[in-house]
Amino acid sequence: MSSILVYISTNGGKVKRSSLEVLSHCREQAGKNGLELAAVVLDPRAEDYIDTLQSYGAKTIYTVSNPIFINHLNAPVSQALEQVIAQSKPRVFACASTEGTKDVLGALAARTGGAALPDVAAFDVTADGVSALRPVMAAKILSQNDARADLILVSVRSGSYDASPSPVVAGVVPVDFVPADISQVLRDVLSSAGDKIDLSEANVVVAAGRGIKDEEGKQLVEELADALGAAIGASRAVVENGLFPATTQIGQTGKVVSPELYFAVGISGAVQHTAGMSNSKVIVAINKDGDAPIFQMASYGLVGDLYKILPLLTAEIRALKSA
Amino acid sequence: MKFIVCIKQVPDVYAPLQIKNGELSMDTDRMVLNAYDASAVEEALVLTEQHGGEVEVVLIGPDKAKETIRKALAMGASRGHHIHVEDSTGLDSAAFAEILTAFFEKNSCDVIATGKQSQDTDSGLAGGMLAAHLSLPYAANAVGLHIDGGNTLVVKRQGDTGQEMIALPFPCLVTCSNDMNNPRIPSLKGIMASKKKPVESLTLEDLGLTLDGVRESVKTTTLSYREMPAREAGKKLEGDAEELVSNLLNLLQNEAKVL
Ligand SMILES: Cc1cc2nc3c(=O)[nH]c(=O)nc-3n(C[C@H](O)[C@H](O)[C@H](O)COP(=O)(O)OP(=O)(O)OC[C@H]3O[C@@H](n4cnc5c(N)ncnc54)[C@H](O)[C@@H]3O)c2cc1C
Ligand SMILES: Nc1ncnc2c1ncn2[C@@H]1O[C@H](COP(=O)(O)O)[C@@H](O)[C@H]1O
Repeated sequence: MSSILVYISTNGGKVKRSSLEVLSHCREQAGKNGLELAAVVLDPRAEDYIDTLQSYGAKTIYTVSNPIFINHLNAPVSQALEQVIAQSKPRVFACASTEGTKDVLGALAARTGGAALPDVAAFDVTADGVSALRPVMAAKILSQNDARADLILVSVRSGSYDASPSPVVAGVVPVDFVPADISQVLRDVLSSAGDKIDLSEANVVVAAGRGIKDEEGKQLVEELADALGAAIGASRAVVENGLFPATTQIGQTGKVVSPELYFAVGISGAVQHTAGMSNSKVIVAINKDGDAPIFQMASYGLVGDLYKILPLLTAEIRALKSA
Repeated sequence: MKFIVCIKQVPDVYAPLQIKNGELSMDTDRMVLNAYDASAVEEALVLTEQHGGEVEVVLIGPDKAKETIRKALAMGASRGHHIHVEDSTGLDSAAFAEILTAFFEKNSCDVIATGKQSQDTDSGLAGGMLAAHLSLPYAANAVGLHIDGGNTLVVKRQGDTGQEMIALPFPCLVTCSNDMNNPRIPSLKGIMASKKKPVESLTLEDLGLTLDGVRESVKTTTLSYREMPAREAGKKLEGDAEELVSNLLNLLQNEAKVL
């Protein structure tokens, strides 16, 4: 039986929520099209994820265990995925759209001869291909796209589907993988304080914009995030001026997030920023300019000075959480 | 050291646009150099200013797109290559990567730089596809570049959590983020100088390709466009800071039920 193969991304010993969203949607699509649902994990200990993946309905799980996957390097990742694709011959290869998968999707499509639909907001597997919706023009427009090929590769924006379990007993296929000699060398991995919580997986995000002018403002954002147990995000303006690390950037260049609760603090709401956060369930905007475009999409808009509002808000939330 | 940067002319996302019967029309007078490609040009210029060498650019597009080549030349690139395709409707990243592959099989360099994505379609595929076709080591989403020992490119790439420093021996390919730098605005002198710089005109046939042949390799098609469904504006709260905070908490707890 032909299959849909889902490439699973992991972080800190867990399957990423965005991968479980893709797996859940592919399970439904496999059911509709009489295809099998398969998953592939690349990790130093790929077996560790079998329980989670079968609880979301993966019937076949390809495990590629190798210490090389402890850090991200595109050459061994592409090589391993190419090998698993050759072995399992799926009709559709799907993955969450992350910086890790964006790094390999184009090369993998070229090497397998597959058609690629990157960063889709929705997709359906049909009798003769895949049809998908993609945001374009800084997410002002949705384009309807079709792909026809023996193999179609799709990457999916986080928050496009719900992750819903549906347990099965999976067949596990350990893959014998020998990394080829690669000329690429990983010299170093740099991380910053902003990396503690994976932004694109967070349930609550506090995002800072140019309204945050200094270290004092940054601290107000950090305290609110701490009180809420939230991840910290940022607009490009405050990444550019060095106040926040590039890892925290949300938007067209940065990450796509889809939390339950999103605070836009001192962010005007440029299309290139909202491209990355408009899937959030509840949006709170704090901005002193009542005409800022962010208010057109905020669930709750607070017109006022963030330097006055944040300390009070943080104190009230702390009081609430300790009550 | 020689860089060749792949640049694309794209519509300005702020230009007014219209959708009628699923078709997108916009002001084609407002075309710009893809922001990510502008950062790639800027970084290549900075590195060659430091270490010596030159920067060339290559663009696939219509006659009008020559203005975008001139812009890169005005920034400081020394030579342009224009692969003329007057009507590229329907061509996807795979098709552009195929054309670029044929170009690079005839034009060698130490580093090929591309943008991490086209700012109109956000595809982000052509760079990786080109690297795979040419069997070059590559890294995507660079936020910083430096040269090590004259024959190695060290890429700082933005990953999901943290950044990776990856060393790539020449020849190699890198896709660039606009977080890498702020591209220079061409000076008047640069603009004057750009008019005298060479731009090679190429056809697909010069590269051993035909438009029909390239069209056959297209595997994805855009069928229609629609407006992004807008979010509804919710409640706008006004008042002093105390009032704002207590109103907000009340709404988050009792209406949205997220606290
Ligand atoms: C190709 C491309 C890609 C891009 N990608 C991204 C991206 O990924 N992410 C991104 O964010 N941007 C991106 N941008 C940049 C984007 O266009 C905007 O420039 C940016 O989002 C603006 O950030 P901002 O809202 O923080 O700043 P501004 O637009 O300057 O807004 C600051 C806001 O803070 C408010 N403010 C000031 N002081 C206070 C105060 N004391 N209290 C309350 N409010 C206050 C102001 O009223 C204003 O609305 C991209 C641009 C391009 C061209
Ligand atoms: N028509 C083109 N001419 C030259 N380079 C291109 C063209 N199309 C894409 N590229 C390069 O490929 C990158 C990624 O494009 P895309 O896959 O469309 O997101 C761009 O940033 C350019 O560097």
